[in-house]
Amino acid sequence: MLEHGRADPGLDSVAPLKLADLGPFPEGDAAAATAFWNRIEEDSSRLVMWWLDRMAASHYPLTERMTWFWHGHWATSISAVSYPLTMQKQNNTLRTHALANFKDMAKAMVVDGAFNVWLNNDENYIESPNENMARELMELMTLGVNRFTQHDVTEAARALTGYTTDQSNGQVTLDPKQHFSGPLTILGATSRMNAESLASLVVSKSQNARFIADRLWFRFVSGSTSAPASLARSFATRDTSSLVSALVHSAAWTSPANALVKSPVEWFVGACRALRVRPSKLNAGDTQWELSQMGQLPFNPPNVGGWTYGQAWLSPVAFQYRFELAQAIVAKGDLAPLSVATSKRVQACADWLGIADWSRRTASALAAAGPAPADVALVALLSPEYMVSA
Amino acid sequence: MINCEFDRRRFLQWTGAGLLAAMSTELSFESLAEAASDGPLPANTPILVLVTLYGGNDGLNTVVPFTDPVYESARSNIALSSSQLLPFTDALAFNSCLPSISALYGQNKVAIVQGVSYPNPSLSHFSSMAIWQSASLAGVSSGWIGRWLDQQPHNAFNVIGVGSTVPPAFVGEKSVASMVDVSGIQLPWGDAATLLPRLGRPSASDVPLEAAAATSIADLFSTASLLGPLIPESPTGPMIGQQLAMVATMINANVPTRVWEVNLSSFDTHSGEQQDQNSLLTEVDAAIGAFMTIISAGGRSNDVTVMIYSEFGRRVESNGSDGTDHGTSAPVLLVGNGVKGGLYGEPPPLNALDANGNLAVTTDFRAVYGGLLHDVLATPVSDIIPSWNTVLSVH
Repeated sequence: MLEHGRADPGLDSVAPLKLADLGPFPEGDAAAATAFWNRIEEDSSRLVMWWLDRMAASHYPLTERMTWFWHGHWATSISAVSYPLTMQKQNNTLRTHALANFKDMAKAMVVDGAFNVWLNNDENYIESPNENMARELMELMTLGVNRFTQHDVTEAARALTGYTTDQSNGQVTLDPKQHFSGPLTILGATSRMNAESLASLVVSKSQNARFIADRLWFRFVSGSTSAPASLARSFATRDTSSLVSALVHSAAWTSPANALVKSPVEWFVGACRALRVRPSKLNAGDTQWELSQMGQLPFNPPNVGGWTYGQAWLSPVAFQYRFELAQAIVAKGDLAPLSVATSKRVQACADWLGIADWSRRTASALAAAGPAPADVALVALLSPEYMVSA
Repeated sequence: MINCEFDRRRFLQWTGAGLLAAMSTELSFESLAEAASDGPLPANTPILVLVTLYGGNDGLNTVVPFTDPVYESARSNIALSSSQLLPFTDALAFNSCLPSISALYGQNKVAIVQGVSYPNPSLSHFSSMAIWQSASLAGVSSGWIGRWLDQQPHNAFNVIGVGSTVPPAFVGEKSVASMVDVSGIQLPWGDAATLLPRLGRPSASDVPLEAAAATSIADLFSTASLLGPLIPESPTGPMIGQQLAMVATMINANVPTRVWEVNLSSFDTHSGEQQDQNSLLTEVDAAIGAFMTIISAGGRSNDVTVMIYSEFGRRVESNGSDGTDHGTSAPVLLVGNGVKGGLYGEPPPLNALDANGNLAVTTDFRAVYGGLLHDVLATPVSDIIPSWNTVLSVH
């Protein structure tokens, strides 16, 4: 079931996105500055819609689904990185490693330009190191909180000194004069270290297997229960596809006791897939505005911890934009699965969207939507059952 | 472009009465609530407004111990100069980006609680913010205001957050706060206007999250007609200012809400701190100043207490990229006409730092919450924070 590397005619139908290196900000030239920001905005929009299209179009969606998971995991925001090209390069790195070896992913990410700019590691100097990337790499990306000491942070920050990033294209280079080259003691191991060897070291710790297994569980199974310790064993070699495979074959995967609120993008992409709508066929400005008002625009996580979860998505504010998105999707959607006798429409709708059973509440609202397939689809997409994966 | 379309839609959805109300400058909840079951907030009911600064605001460049030689020597690349300070004692000054708060302090309307954190502070944003928002050191997942909300009869107005996602402090064990945003409230139109309210009822077969989803739909419909017209059509300026101005308008209109929250991010100033923090503090200060001005024109200005806090302060010593790394204690500011202004708690000494070079903790944040629960929410602190009894009152 892990389709990594398989040809995907769905993805082939999404035109490749080629963004230009926009170079440095044009200082002191107002007209050029305006043109520059317009171009940034335009490219950002193209980048977001390109990725949403891939998520919606893929015939084997696991790679895009896992790329999305890793985007939230290595949560980097264009708000600080500014350049869509630099974000796209990170996105491609996440996709390359999405179902492959996590150690390779970590080694690639610590020298990823967007990640370095986001965590201020483009300004980490030997004389007085900046701890930001060192701490978050261990706390949020590889080990988890309280599994390292402040001393480890201080030393890891020195391993990460001397890197600079060309922000407009994400190129990372190491300036040996600004890099601490003496031995460092981190998590009990002493050696000379740079970004890649630091990444290898932290990923080699057994805590890393537990941590990544927990994060996957948290996003795919339950925000309120813990992953069984056995799940981490499937990540012994740091092969992500083995871990995902263990997760989807676990009893917890299908247990109705485990419920998650679909995040706005997950809900949106699921709806687009069900109704066969290509996101870029919707109004791009409206779509992105609505997703951002719901709190989840791709490439814009709110902070380095990634997106929120659970009840936080269930706000009245989010619902009003969810309605607007649903309305737009239904207007462009293929409603053929609802072209059945009115009496069979409520059940057809459940089968179509993968809902086990409608509640009496939703069944009665669907029945009231009665003769109009578009209304039935709208009510179904906005039902509590479809907002939550139970 | 997006906004024009959006405004047009929002404009169209108001019925005649709503439109009139939206254009009126003096709105009252009574006028909006004629047909509603929710009455206005009784007179003299205390109101709490939380202002959450995400990322770890540098307390030492907010309330500055400017005469301490360590301040200058430990952070010479980001220490504020005398022209960037508004001294209020011979040892302490406000960052000059806080002129409104400084002026309010001069009117005894600002309490500065010094050295606030909790035992063994976490240097993790997320652990520390979870501790502040849950008021628990033991990993309780419900928020402190959420647990207070659990004790109230359900009403979509009791506690309202501003923004799209619910802050952790506002999620209880049984109930979740309502939310409203400066972009306005647009109710579904067309057939959906009558169909979707049917989805706003928990059903016996719901799992808890489905029930919560249903409640959020119901809350949208129950808040829309009353709060929607109070939201300015074309707000301008920084987001935090728009948000607090909207809250002030709703307070003046007697909306029956006891707790509000607004928040601002980007205080994680690991590099280029002076420029970034100063610009953020300028936004917060202007927003607080405007908020106090707006509520002083209404009837509840003596009932409102604002708390401004962050998950931690920052390292005393700066780093080489003109920023600061994660720290521990920092001042909490409480603002309001009913607040007894002045300094509370002991200042953490700059020459007696912990093993990581961070400030000592001299006040536990749960004592500040205790004061607010007692003075503002009329609730015994131990009902909300089990086995905690210390209360630091600023009223």
